[in-house]
Amino acid sequence: MENRRAAILSTAVMFGFLLVGIRLADLMLLDHDVLAAKARNQQQVMVDVAVNRGLILDRRGRALAMNVDAYSVYGRPFRVKNPGEVSAALSDATGRSYDKVLASMRSNRNFIWVKRKMETGSAERLKGLGLEGVGFIPESKRTYPKGRLASHLIGFVGVDNQPLEGVELRYNEDLRGEIKKVLVSKDAGGRTLSEGFDVQSRGNGLVLTIDEGLQYISEQALDRVIERWEAVSAIAIMMDPYNGEILAMASRPTYDLNDPGGYKTSSRRNRAITDPYEPGSTFKVVTAAAALEEAVVTPATEFDVSDGFIDVGSMRVYDSRRQDRILFTEVIKTSSNVGTIQVGSLIDNRTFHEYISKFGFGSRTGVDLPGEAPGIVRDYKRWSKTSHAAISIGYEVAVTPLQILRAYAAVANGGWLVTPHVVKEIVASDGTVLKQFNPGLGEHIISTHTANTLKDILISVTQEGGTAREAAVSGNLVAGKTGTTRLIDPDTGEYSHERYVSSFVGFVPADNPRFALVVVVFEPKKQYYGGRVAAPVFSDIASQALAYMNVPRDDFRNENVLLVRNDEF
Amino acid sequence: MFRIDRRLLANMDWLLAGVVILISAAGISTIFSATRPLFGGTQPDYYIKQIYWLIMGLGALTVVVSIDYKWFHRAANALYGGGLLLLVVVLVAGRVGMGAQRWLSIGPFNIQPSEFFKLVYLMALARFLSMDSESLDWRSLGKGFGALVLPPLLLVLVQPDLGTSIVLLLLFVGLALAKGIKKRVALLLAAILIVSVPFLGTLAWDNLKGYQKDRITAFINPEADSGGMGYHVRQSKVAVGSGGLFGKGYLKGTQGPFRFLPEKHTDFVFAVFAEERGFFGSMVLLFLYMTLLLRGLGAARLAKDDFARYLCLGIVYLFAIQLFVNMGMTMGLAPIVGLPLPFMSYGGSAMLTNCMAVGLLMGVRARRFELFF
Repeated sequence: MENRRAAILSTAVMFGFLLVGIRLADLMLLDHDVLAAKARNQQQVMVDVAVNRGLILDRRGRALAMNVDAYSVYGRPFRVKNPGEVSAALSDATGRSYDKVLASMRSNRNFIWVKRKMETGSAERLKGLGLEGVGFIPESKRTYPKGRLASHLIGFVGVDNQPLEGVELRYNEDLRGEIKKVLVSKDAGGRTLSEGFDVQSRGNGLVLTIDEGLQYISEQALDRVIERWEAVSAIAIMMDPYNGEILAMASRPTYDLNDPGGYKTSSRRNRAITDPYEPGSTFKVVTAAAALEEAVVTPATEFDVSDGFIDVGSMRVYDSRRQDRILFTEVIKTSSNVGTIQVGSLIDNRTFHEYISKFGFGSRTGVDLPGEAPGIVRDYKRWSKTSHAAISIGYEVAVTPLQILRAYAAVANGGWLVTPHVVKEIVASDGTVLKQFNPGLGEHIISTHTANTLKDILISVTQEGGTAREAAVSGNLVAGKTGTTRLIDPDTGEYSHERYVSSFVGFVPADNPRFALVVVVFEPKKQYYGGRVAAPVFSDIASQALAYMNVPRDDFRNENVLLVRNDEF
Repeated sequence: MFRIDRRLLANMDWLLAGVVILISAAGISTIFSATRPLFGGTQPDYYIKQIYWLIMGLGALTVVVSIDYKWFHRAANALYGGGLLLLVVVLVAGRVGMGAQRWLSIGPFNIQPSEFFKLVYLMALARFLSMDSESLDWRSLGKGFGALVLPPLLLVLVQPDLGTSIVLLLLFVGLALAKGIKKRVALLLAAILIVSVPFLGTLAWDNLKGYQKDRITAFINPEADSGGMGYHVRQSKVAVGSGGLFGKGYLKGTQGPFRFLPEKHTDFVFAVFAEERGFFGSMVLLFLYMTLLLRGLGAARLAKDDFARYLCLGIVYLFAIQLFVNMGMTMGLAPIVGLPLPFMSYGGSAMLTNCMAVGLLMGVRARRFELFF
């Protein structure tokens, strides 16, 4: 080959490389910024970084909800060479069925979850097997060390920490913490490739008003009453009457916060605020308060209840016990329907409705929990001829246990309507208190004089001749009221003769109340009177709670301390 | 037939061997990076296999170097016949992969006979062109095309392997031009070609497979089809461009492992390399390739006879075609034809073939002082 041809070819080769070099410079130097930006745009994405949720503590700082480290196990089926072997190991470790794991490992999907939030120990063991196509992502798992305790109130989160119930839901913004936006890489399939998990920061914590001990006492008592009377459900709420702090809020049936899926949704309902019922005789305190405030009665006013019944329109209402002429105080003490309807008839519809509303019935209490029902109080303009009488003895209205408790708290604290709440403080992860909830006493709805008069009447309820002697506790005076109502039979639409609601609501020690407590038992069998079913539960919880709170006995204190007591009655 | 003596070793082109090893090492490290898993998961063993292929390739290179090319001259027709037979076998008994019947399974290995065929094809062409010293006229051109080019062209097109058939055709055209075509014939051929382009183009277009049409459409207007074939070009350009002057650094590239770039360790391996090593590294690589081609041309110039000259020239063409087409497609300058980048792209048959080709170049150069017997 002559040299000329070789030179031509060599030049051609070098020219080719020159072209390639120019194009490279074009792409890599001139277009670099544009193309690098394209790469960034398609490879990076802003994501929310998961931070640990804040803790939930009881009023004494005991943990009710916390986080533990966990691993989520995933599979990349296309990388699994031996699906049978891998599936067997995964099935062993996770407890999932072999067939299901195998089916997903044989699927043509790129990514599958094998097990979310697996406990660290078994995840480490699984990791040790070094299975091909199986990976692990560290995550934080919400756990509830007390399991069922205060489950309705605390609520729980889903597998991605999405809040589902209770304060977990209501205070999610605080608990989940500031959502951090972080730039992470993603692949062509859109899957993010960084772990996107910041263990250092944590959401704000909640200090509840709940006391674990009081909660435990209440729940134990509910378990016993459910068992003893074969009741369908039961509720107990304990509240500080002066500031509305809920000390305990318990419902049965209940569920385990660590396994919410294993229970019926009906068990997860916080019946203390979601289920209005007709309060019956416990509502008579509203009628009595209205009559006293309007000065249409005095404690000494006499009522003739000797017929044992009263006709209201076409309805005939009976007393459970025949009496003759009784004082106003005895009307409440003995829970006379006939007497209470007579008391109520002294007030007009509009005024009566006004008092009912003042006590907060028919509207939400504003408790900081999701799902609260307002109850049902119809406007007085829509009352029928029998409505006034029915309402005065607690029918034709529907209230939640929390509403009736708040009404009695007003009697206990001298006439103020408090706002019930379950969160005392919001605390930053470093312990700084960010917010304190102290709504105070609220609106003054009845005079202190009226409140004290009612209080003395309510004390008599638990004394000799009252309807709820079983509510009494040793050493301290209990003020309260029983309630027994029939449930409406859903089949017939009329009041059932078998299904009752039995309740007791009161406060203790009566003269210097440390707490107000309501106990509502739905559909007890064999026995249904509030005085027999709910009152003993009140006594059970109250006596333990007083001991737990180190409340001195009134009868011992009398020996050393001069007590100032309004003894007008 | 095998004979290595001291003089042969002394005249060996060690530079060429060094360049091949350097490029292959760059290829293996880039394959490692391109296929690395991102989180969890194990490193696929492509790079290990490529190391094995390189070792086997260097062994094959040694064997080829030790054979006097005159033996290839004599055996050219027989080898060509054997190669043609393999192309028939692959059509009958081959394994279908990625929409084409290109592979033969031999034990644990899958080989691509069309790769090896390129070498025996070049030998047969070199032998044909060295038969007389006259420029090519109608008769010899037609004879060469009909006997040597057409049969393998058809067999490869049936697989179908558009890339290889284009290579076969270009090799013939290139070598024929190097040999020299009679002016009259050349002018007439050019005229015929120009006149028949629209007709042939339509005929070819109608016979292309769907994906082949897509590739050409995507080349002409890549932005119109950002999700389909244009996607490959676009992602490849993004990879190359985001490399910048010094690159993102080894194992820092993202386009490949993040699965944006298709065929990241085979056809688009250069994009991964450019992303990580930048303009600087790419220039070094281009320099290595240029050395390879110029040394090949040098071997052709020094060759002692016409057969060796055309053989070396053909090998340089073979490398150049693959190199420029592959880089062109990586940088959005040529349509996507599945041609691997020599010594860089993952693939055993190509590695073995390319090493043997370098063995031929080195053999010709080392024997440049030998006398004819």
